[in-house]
Amino acid sequence: MNPLITSSAIPRLTRREWLKLTAAGVVGYSLSGWLEALAADAAADPKRRRSCILLWMNGGPSQLDTFDLKPGHPNGGPFQEIETAVPGIKISEHLPKIAKLANHLAIIRSMSTKEADHGRATYTMRTGHAPGGPIQYPALGSLVAKELEPPDAELPSFVSIAPFRFLSPAAYGSGFLGPRYAPLIVGENIANLGRAPGQEPDRALKVQDLDLPAGVDGRRAEGRVRLLEEMEQEFLAERATVASLSHRTAYQRAVTMMRSEAARAFNLEEEPQVLRDAYGRNLFGQGCLLARRLVERGVPFVEVTLSSAPGVANGIGWDTHQDNFNAVQRLSEVLDAGWSTLLTDLKDRGLLQNTLIVWMGEFGRTPRINANKGRDHWANAWSTVLAGGGIKGGQVIGKTSADGSTVEERPVSVKDFLATVCLALGIDITKQNDSNVGRPIRIVEPGAQPIQEVLS
Amino acid sequence: MTYLRLWLLGCVVLLTAGAAARGADPPPAPDAADVQALAAQIDKYIAAAWASAGVQPAPLADDAEFLRRVYLDLAGRIPSVAEARAFLKDPSPDKRLRLAERLVESPRYVTHWTNVWRGILLPEASANIQARLLMPSFEAWLREKLAANVGYNELVRELLTVPIDRSGIEVVYGPRREAGSALAYYLAKEASPENLAAGVARVFLGIRLECAQCHDHPFATWKREQFWGLAAFFAGIQRDRQGDFAFPRREVADKRELTIPGTERVVQATYPDGTQPVWRFKVSSRQTLADWLTSRKNPYFAKATVNRLWFHFFGRGLIDPVDEMVGGESEATHPELLDELAREFAAHQFDLKFLIRAIVASRTYQLTSAATHPSQQDTRLFARMPLRGLTPEQLFDSLSQATGYQEAAPRNPGVVVLGGPMSPREEFLSRFTNQSDRPTEVQTSILQALSLMNGRLIADATDLERSETLAAVLDAPFLDTRERIETLYLAALSRKPRPNELERLLKFVENSDGEDREKARRQALADIFWVLLNSGEFFLNH
Repeated sequence: MNPLITSSAIPRLTRREWLKLTAAGVVGYSLSGWLEALAADAAADPKRRRSCILLWMNGGPSQLDTFDLKPGHPNGGPFQEIETAVPGIKISEHLPKIAKLANHLAIIRSMSTKEADHGRATYTMRTGHAPGGPIQYPALGSLVAKELEPPDAELPSFVSIAPFRFLSPAAYGSGFLGPRYAPLIVGENIANLGRAPGQEPDRALKVQDLDLPAGVDGRRAEGRVRLLEEMEQEFLAERATVASLSHRTAYQRAVTMMRSEAARAFNLEEEPQVLRDAYGRNLFGQGCLLARRLVERGVPFVEVTLSSAPGVANGIGWDTHQDNFNAVQRLSEVLDAGWSTLLTDLKDRGLLQNTLIVWMGEFGRTPRINANKGRDHWANAWSTVLAGGGIKGGQVIGKTSADGSTVEERPVSVKDFLATVCLALGIDITKQNDSNVGRPIRIVEPGAQPIQEVLS
Repeated sequence: MTYLRLWLLGCVVLLTAGAAARGADPPPAPDAADVQALAAQIDKYIAAAWASAGVQPAPLADDAEFLRRVYLDLAGRIPSVAEARAFLKDPSPDKRLRLAERLVESPRYVTHWTNVWRGILLPEASANIQARLLMPSFEAWLREKLAANVGYNELVRELLTVPIDRSGIEVVYGPRREAGSALAYYLAKEASPENLAAGVARVFLGIRLECAQCHDHPFATWKREQFWGLAAFFAGIQRDRQGDFAFPRREVADKRELTIPGTERVVQATYPDGTQPVWRFKVSSRQTLADWLTSRKNPYFAKATVNRLWFHFFGRGLIDPVDEMVGGESEATHPELLDELAREFAAHQFDLKFLIRAIVASRTYQLTSAATHPSQQDTRLFARMPLRGLTPEQLFDSLSQATGYQEAAPRNPGVVVLGGPMSPREEFLSRFTNQSDRPTEVQTSILQALSLMNGRLIADATDLERSETLAAVLDAPFLDTRERIETLYLAALSRKPRPNELERLLKFVENSDGEDREKARRQALADIFWVLLNSGEFFLNH
């Protein structure tokens, strides 16, 4: 073993340490006048960047009953295939509206990954790395938020709608990128295990504590904030460090958001009833509507979790160890309405070409049907879907074996998949971020083979 | 206003020195002179580096700044109004030392440092569902060890040699989990030799070995063989896997080799310094490793520990990062000091309290965090105290202390396993968990800011009807506006307002207008309390 290196020389602050200070998101906000509202209409930005909407299928959706059916095989189950808008591509009969929009979809039937436990797989699919080490990897949403954040954003750049974080909280964090890129969470599904799903979506999809407490009016709140700014000057002048400036920056951004016109994104009641009905009057459907309203206002990454449907008994939506077919049918109905309306709504507003939609869960389900009419965890061969901005739709990538258990063509690993997502968003996958262990970490691990043929 | 509240007010606000605050000083500890001597050594080496770098250090913190800092660091919360008044009023010159001695012997020391050590030893707890389920039993075990102040070498030895069998698992998961067990450590590391080796190397040796798990270390001299040689000490642990969970089942005591996954290469248990263990009859490989690790012959153990504690108090290690002490890019900033601390720590039976008392008694620890000269900028010279973020527990307990919030009887933490509504405390802790393992770089999120600005806890604390501390201050007939402002400052910031602040805030109250003059004044005081609780000065340890 090496001796502990001894030297009394004290080196100067290294470049890396300086970089850390700037990377912490502190530099760039002036110390004075932070109360002046930032006037910018994100939606009207002519240099509009791409956005991403991740539809997260919590629990691992069954590929055999959604996008990769095996009719006629004992593993196939009772669902029928239906034709889609693209000749030759067939999907589940319980996704009829999505089928009509198949020209926008690139269906990847050859996902092949290693993790088949919820916690580990969730972390791996959402960060690109297996959990366990000292490096706190950021979620995909945080990475994208950092790259695509508009310079004058009034809203947080990563919004997570109805997440179910329990199985892997770190998979929803910003890791070494820090709280600046942490998701703003609305409608968290903390407690739906063992409970009837279907909480009241309008209430659930509000930002917590965005409104003033009862009994405090706007005038008084402004007075408080002004007094806070004034009384803090001395402390900050003497103690301007990452921690104190970040505290001030967070208050600045919180106040900006409270006053922001853009925060009206959360007022779903502004939308026509017909459209709201079309999205589906449930947490996921209304979450998709909220995602559109956020993307419209320039938010670069929004994720919507589908983890429950009426009549699905288990708490982790797609984790269908029992009663798979009933549960998948009901979940598909919720999915079909929300996702198809989202696609058409984005298209009608001219937003689809700039908005990538990703459909995935943490893994797929076993081709074999178990004794409880369920399917268990399966990472060896499963499906994901990419749609919209940056994607050449109307195609299927890869192929699984006749029984569905293995990938026969074009296996896609976690990093291949994440690299494809980043490239579709125009992000340089070789770019590095400083990590909490002092070593730079690439946005996507080296060695990824992106699926070039789906990129438009 | 109720009589009860009036009575409480008398106790809390006005009694300037409660019996508990003044009368309960323990007799001087037998090693008090050693504590002073080590504190002097710390100051000597730190000052020598200042001199050679031409640094003008910051002056000593005033009593209030020290008071708040030492409460947060040793007791995990800010002081009460009565505790603050008592300390600030006390004229005796040795009051800082006496306060530190008292806090380190208080039950809050055990509570706070249980959180600290759980964070160091079980960093998985935030990311891993299994680790979170295990926290109650692990914390119970830690509490017991810290309350008895067992030597750190003993604590680590017990951690590393805990028997692996079925009965232990039942304690960890069963109804007796309050009894506590160190077995949670093995469960959290999924009982895998590589996770255990990585954890042991990081915390007990100050070495980050796990990059060598798959390849030779790119930045340092660690070889793959060294990593697996350490992992092989845990090769005898047999485990079961069930879904997301891995359980250690039993142990084959004499299995001391393993095959590097994906290769044919078999590696024997070998100490990281390359020496071969001497195996003794009926002594397990874990026992053998624990003996070597915690012996005085292993210099890395004491150094890694004192470096980590230094990091805890000063926001960076004497070698930094603290888990790259060997083979990393960084050199020790004060090598002689590191040696001295390690030597004294070992000479005092690895007594954590001894080390903590010496650090807190040093002048270096007692410097102000306010910058007074540009030369204090380089954080490696410790020329002023850095600002550090609070742990979620420190923040919640401090808010409770300041506002008078009391949670209904805490639930058995182990019962809440899946789902169920979280208590306000659990919800708060989950919202304020931060991912940065560097307290000086802690960042605030928008949701955290919103939650402090508009959330229920502070909304209630600044509401004229529902507040505790605020209502007591407002309703006291014997206080004038000036004294009310002063009491709110003591409650939130543990200090009195400076003259310019008091003048400004008196004006703020006087200028408040509304149809109901008295109500407007009360609201203005509530606004002042809101401002103090939302300030960076409250949110950070400075």
